[in-house]
Amino acid sequence: MTTITETTVAPTRLSWLTPNLLGVALLLLLGYGLVPWIGSDYLMDAVLTPFLALALAAIGLNVLTGYAGQVSLGSAAFLAVGAYAAYNLNLRLPSLPLLADIVLAGAIAAAVGIVFGLPSLRLRGFYLAVSTLAAQFFVQWALTKFGWFSNDNASGVIDAPVIRIGSLSFTSATGRYVFSLSIVAVATALTARLLASQIGRNFIAVRDHEVAAKVIGVPLLRTKLLAFGISSFLIGVAGVLWAFAYLRTVEPAGFNLDRSFQILFIIIIGGLASLRGAFIGAAFIVVFPLLLSRLGAALLGSVFDSGVLEMSQRIVIGALIIAFLIAEPRGLVALIDRAVAAARRLRSSQS
Amino acid sequence: MLLSALTTSLDVLALETWAPGTARQVLDTEPAAAPGAQVSGGPRAVLRLANISLSFGGLTALRDVDLDVAEGEIRAVIGPNGAGKSSLLNVVSGLYRPDQGEVWFGDHAFRQVPTAQLARLGVARTFQNLALFNGLSAFDNVLIGLAHRVHTGFIRQLVGSPAARRIEAENRAAAEEVIGFLHLQEVRDRIAGSLPYGLQKRVELARALVARPKLLLLDEPFAGVTLSGKQELAQHVRGARDRYGTTIVLIEHDIGIVMGLSDHIAVLDYGRKIADGPPAEIKTNQAVIDAYLGVAHEDETELAI
Repeated sequence: MTTITETTVAPTRLSWLTPNLLGVALLLLLGYGLVPWIGSDYLMDAVLTPFLALALAAIGLNVLTGYAGQVSLGSAAFLAVGAYAAYNLNLRLPSLPLLADIVLAGAIAAAVGIVFGLPSLRLRGFYLAVSTLAAQFFVQWALTKFGWFSNDNASGVIDAPVIRIGSLSFTSATGRYVFSLSIVAVATALTARLLASQIGRNFIAVRDHEVAAKVIGVPLLRTKLLAFGISSFLIGVAGVLWAFAYLRTVEPAGFNLDRSFQILFIIIIGGLASLRGAFIGAAFIVVFPLLLSRLGAALLGSVFDSGVLEMSQRIVIGALIIAFLIAEPRGLVALIDRAVAAARRLRSSQS
Repeated sequence: MLLSALTTSLDVLALETWAPGTARQVLDTEPAAAPGAQVSGGPRAVLRLANISLSFGGLTALRDVDLDVAEGEIRAVIGPNGAGKSSLLNVVSGLYRPDQGEVWFGDHAFRQVPTAQLARLGVARTFQNLALFNGLSAFDNVLIGLAHRVHTGFIRQLVGSPAARRIEAENRAAAEEVIGFLHLQEVRDRIAGSLPYGLQKRVELARALVARPKLLLLDEPFAGVTLSGKQELAQHVRGARDRYGTTIVLIEHDIGIVMGLSDHIAVLDYGRKIADGPPAEIKTNQAVIDAYLGVAHEDETELAI
């Protein structure tokens, strides 16, 4: 037995030194060491914090749709469940630390996700996507209808509490950014670990060939519900970040179908079944409107008002979705990989 | 925790739905019902089909098919297109429920084989049109053939508990062994979907073999493979039997390749078994020749009824 363990542990130790891991370490160093010191409040508050929350939600959806092959249009509902669950836990159980609130909010979102994942046992593809819309509409309706969820606010609006862990409080833009970064980094690392285990292989097996997976002994029911659960957990935690760290005042209408589509677009543009893709796609979705408005203002001047911006944004993103689905279903991450490979080839042929 | 507890209990529910009615011990209920039951001293039947009939609407796919497959033999089931070969394999693997008849694995009889329990019963199969997991590497495809042995929940896999690590290490060692046995080392890290057809077939064979099944069902393993590839694959199939003692049932419509490979050949035509015996006997069997050449024989009207 010891020999077996030794032979298999050795290569995993070596694989720790991949360029991937170096890249991640570098990004974390940048994110913790550089950005908080030189970044403006605007950058952290309006760009990086929503980017992190959306990236985490996209990771959640990618687990479900990219890896396990179950299409969902209900992501915003699970964001809302996470946000409102954390708000209520914080309000009604004040003795619980905030981190526990966040984990429990994720667990509640997971439970709701599993319930709405039950149709996946019978439905597939388009039909499943439509059935997940039920989650989208039901959750938004319930949060508006029952005042209890928003502590009897007339329009369902909640004001997020200050993020406080022990004696540390994260009130400034920098603090909320660092808090989000930490949560996202830990959640991403855990997800990557899970996807590399048998669970991750089971997800892909169910996605690629359900009958073969069943014959081999992959438990279909458990695997699909686990995908819904883990996915909703991550999206729920992202919802907490969205509400507590980014907006700080949220209403159910903020978690509408548009938000669900936005997260779906992130993983289509970024790259399905790729954790990097979720980050790249989220970065694109957050940065793109800013670039477009700057560009439009520079080129067209005062004609390019917010209405035109909104419209042109939708047109360009719609065109991009079509282009990616046809030309590169694996998304931006595949384009980047190919560019890197081409650059390497060029360099090696020159030297 | 909440999650794993919830999903596990649901899974248990799913198990219970098939368990009571379908699986029975031979001694409990039908001691005399096994036709051609174990001959004393003879090899045990690993697979026995008793009186299997299957129809889709008005179309009869299988009619009163009996089949006994002894331990360690390579049994070919041949027949022209549409003879019911694939239906037979799908009945054995539980994808179809026969209208009547039973499938026996050793001492277990099933009306409908529980597909999800197939691997645990020691049965593995391949598919006619490749059924690899295209997004996984060749190695991971083989490794997942042991999915049924991973009984640690997702929390334990996430934190890497000793049990989860031990199972993972054992499974990886088993997968490496089969990869080596089928000479797939060079492509082990390539994405399965990017491999040439012949290699994909071999990866699928490796995936089926990694769990060391007692019974291996091969659905047209030679279809679409080049002539040299066929001979190579035939060697691997025989090697699998010799090395692991696996009983093999293979479906094929190319009569040539199975003659040299199989110990026994059963012939299906229009859903009926028209012959069953060693290759030499099948070669000269008039009903088989007629079925393949389509000669209008005096008996054919009788056979077709």
